[in-house]
Amino acid sequence: MASSLEPIVVLSLVVGAIAAVIFAGVLVALIVFTIRYRDVRTGSAPQIHGHRALEIAWTGAPLALLAIIFVLSLVTLGQIGQGATFGSLEPPLHVDVIGHQWWFEFRYPGGAVTANELHVPVGVPIELDLSSADVIHDLWVPELGAKSDVVPGQRNVMRLFTARAGTFSGECAEFCGLEHAWMRVLVVAEPRADFDRWIAAQSAPASGTAGRGLEIVRSAVCSSCHVVRGQVAGTPIGPDLTHIASRTTIAGGVLANTADALRAWIGDPQRYKPGALMPKVPLSSDDLDAVVAYLESLK
Amino acid sequence: MTATALARRPGAFATAGVLRTVDHKDIGIMYVLLGIAFLAIGGLEALLLRVQLATPGEHVLDPSTYDQIFTMHGITMIFLVAIPMLVGFANYVVPLQIGAEDVAFPRLNALSFWLTLSGGVLLYLSFVAGGAPDAGWFAYAPLTEPAHAVGNGMDWYIFGLAVSGAGTIIGAINLAVTILLMRCPGMVMGRAPMFTWMVLITSVLIIAAYPILTSALVMLLVDRQLGGRFFDPAGGGNATLWQHLFWSFGHPEVYIVVLPAFGMISEIIPVFSGKPLFGYRFVAASGIAIGFLSFGVWAHHMFAVGLGDAENAFFSATSMLIAVPTGVKVFNWLATMWRGRIRLAMPMVFAIGFIATFVIGGLTGVSLAVVPIDLYTTDSYYVVGHLHYVLFGGTMMAVFAGLYYWFPKVTGRLLGHRLGLAHFWLTLVGLTLAFLPMHLLGIEGMPRRVWTYPPGMGWDWPNLVSTIGSFLIAAGAIALAANVWRSLRAGERAGDDPWDAFTLEWSTASPPPSYNFDAIPQVRGKRPLWDRKHPDRMDPL
Repeated sequence: MASSLEPIVVLSLVVGAIAAVIFAGVLVALIVFTIRYRDVRTGSAPQIHGHRALEIAWTGAPLALLAIIFVLSLVTLGQIGQGATFGSLEPPLHVDVIGHQWWFEFRYPGGAVTANELHVPVGVPIELDLSSADVIHDLWVPELGAKSDVVPGQRNVMRLFTARAGTFSGECAEFCGLEHAWMRVLVVAEPRADFDRWIAAQSAPASGTAGRGLEIVRSAVCSSCHVVRGQVAGTPIGPDLTHIASRTTIAGGVLANTADALRAWIGDPQRYKPGALMPKVPLSSDDLDAVVAYLESLK
Repeated sequence: MTATALARRPGAFATAGVLRTVDHKDIGIMYVLLGIAFLAIGGLEALLLRVQLATPGEHVLDPSTYDQIFTMHGITMIFLVAIPMLVGFANYVVPLQIGAEDVAFPRLNALSFWLTLSGGVLLYLSFVAGGAPDAGWFAYAPLTEPAHAVGNGMDWYIFGLAVSGAGTIIGAINLAVTILLMRCPGMVMGRAPMFTWMVLITSVLIIAAYPILTSALVMLLVDRQLGGRFFDPAGGGNATLWQHLFWSFGHPEVYIVVLPAFGMISEIIPVFSGKPLFGYRFVAASGIAIGFLSFGVWAHHMFAVGLGDAENAFFSATSMLIAVPTGVKVFNWLATMWRGRIRLAMPMVFAIGFIATFVIGGLTGVSLAVVPIDLYTTDSYYVVGHLHYVLFGGTMMAVFAGLYYWFPKVTGRLLGHRLGLAHFWLTLVGLTLAFLPMHLLGIEGMPRRVWTYPPGMGWDWPNLVSTIGSFLIAAGAIALAANVWRSLRAGERAGDDPWDAFTLEWSTASPPPSYNFDAIPQVRGKRPLWDRKHPDRMDPL
């Protein structure tokens, strides 16, 4: 199987073809009857009140068709639902997913923690354990198929799979407040060796350049919401910054992860993501540069 | 008063008459006017949303304003447009169709109108009282709990919906009692017009479904104002309980705003095909079947919530079943047209358009009942496209058909055909451009309810096309307004029965006198006027 999307595509094509035939039939009948029986062409209409056999036929035929679709849907559900292996013999990789207003946190078994960027090995079923820190969210990566709500007070499990390396765009699909639009994720599927290297690097504590930047992050309001494992023992409310420099985007996909963008974002988060829970922190221009330089060193 | 106050005296709105009237026809007109006023508001809200989404990264609206407007657009269209319009038609038409003088409880009827209006006013007061509701029309907890919704918008939502809902419940009891007890001699239920049938079923659905919404609203109020924890998992409550309660009301609600539309189409197609409704018993019975099934399908809105595969399969099966009676109706409408003598007057044009567009909404509905497909498409723009095909391509197209059909009865004047065609084609092309690309957007991965979106996702052109379509729909509405304006001033006189129709409302004057009929009608079949006009070819008993 190429990905967890594949069975859904197959089923959709079957259902779509059936629906298209029915729609075409209704449309043709509608147009033909409208033209053929237009009053300018016909005399008086025969007073037909009904036809029992026809009624039974067009009650029974759709019922049979729906029964077939229902059975097919159960087969597909078995291919993508709880415990699905997608034809892979590998044991599944477990990742804890925590939805926050408005970003996703991913926690790996070895201690690696990322935000808005999920790395997975190709050819391995991914089992996502979903929970929420606040309201209901929903994790959806369209190219990997199904979505699952992320519900506070409830643990949902969803399995995804891809045999193809690539970067897939995803998002929160359940309306969750002001910045629902900017709760985007990237899924990076890579060969096993690359993934192993990545997870080893992410599991390691931070090795950011010590200096003024680190001092500010430690002492200023930054640490009241952010953690840098090994260097800043903050409160884990916002995204873990241990390896922030390795990520592609920041702030739930609003900005690309460049030094300029980081500087702009920290300088005024509300300008780029109005409503985001990160406040504007009063830092001098020099301090801002130092903080950005430090974050850039968190490879 | 010897005549319908509003229709006979255009100045009635300037007098206290409108405040005092208990005539079902006046109240029906007031309901429809209320619906039209909110249609204009809800339509402008839709245009604002579409302007914001026309291109990626637009800043016409900030996220807070966008959320308030998309929420109010949904609430307005469902509770303040669809319901008042359909209840208005039912109020005006049903007593006439069943040969009654008025509804069973005329004063309650006035009360239900004023409650609906008050609910609407309460909802819109929120804008000037610190912010409108902003959690979507189905307002999922815990986003609506005090910890996450800090303003008062959700409180206005609770009071607005509870008050207008009370009006809707009272109105439904009134209509149900009227239909059950006030039919003229000879009109057993098996001879009642199909619109009357569908209004009866709708009324029963309202009486059963709306109290669930009211209860959920009270629970939310307890959470918000009295420190309750019903929907707050942090305090021992349950985050998905609200969804179960809301959709237990919300899915019957879909049929509440669709069944009367089916009824209108079931009146119009036979009249303009010159034939009786094909399979009357099956069309009525399929309405009853839809009514029953509508209470067993709510969790198809919740397939991604994590109920489990078995629960999802059950609700998938019940939801698919609803397609069967719905299909029966469509096939019977087509069979009614078959070998008919089809007159393409405006009501029929809209009825034909209705079938084409509604079938699309029905078929995409089946796809959403298929769990694996739903797990991909739910909460995406595919659902937004689907629901607009059902509610606009379905309900609104039928309401337009009904408007052209009954306008001459209400005002004594016909609506113009040329402006009518302009209205029809602008609406049909507009809704296709506005709502068809939304399916594609959903398939391409665009989630619903986002205030903006990034470029480069393949979402740009379908969004732009959708925005263009929404403005065509608005242009169609202007054509309708011009048509109404011209007809009221100088429209062709309709006479009692301009369509050569079958049901009793066409046997009295246009507009009807306040007592409706000079003498209480007596009927022997399903088409009393056909029998009168064709004594040689009366319907078999």
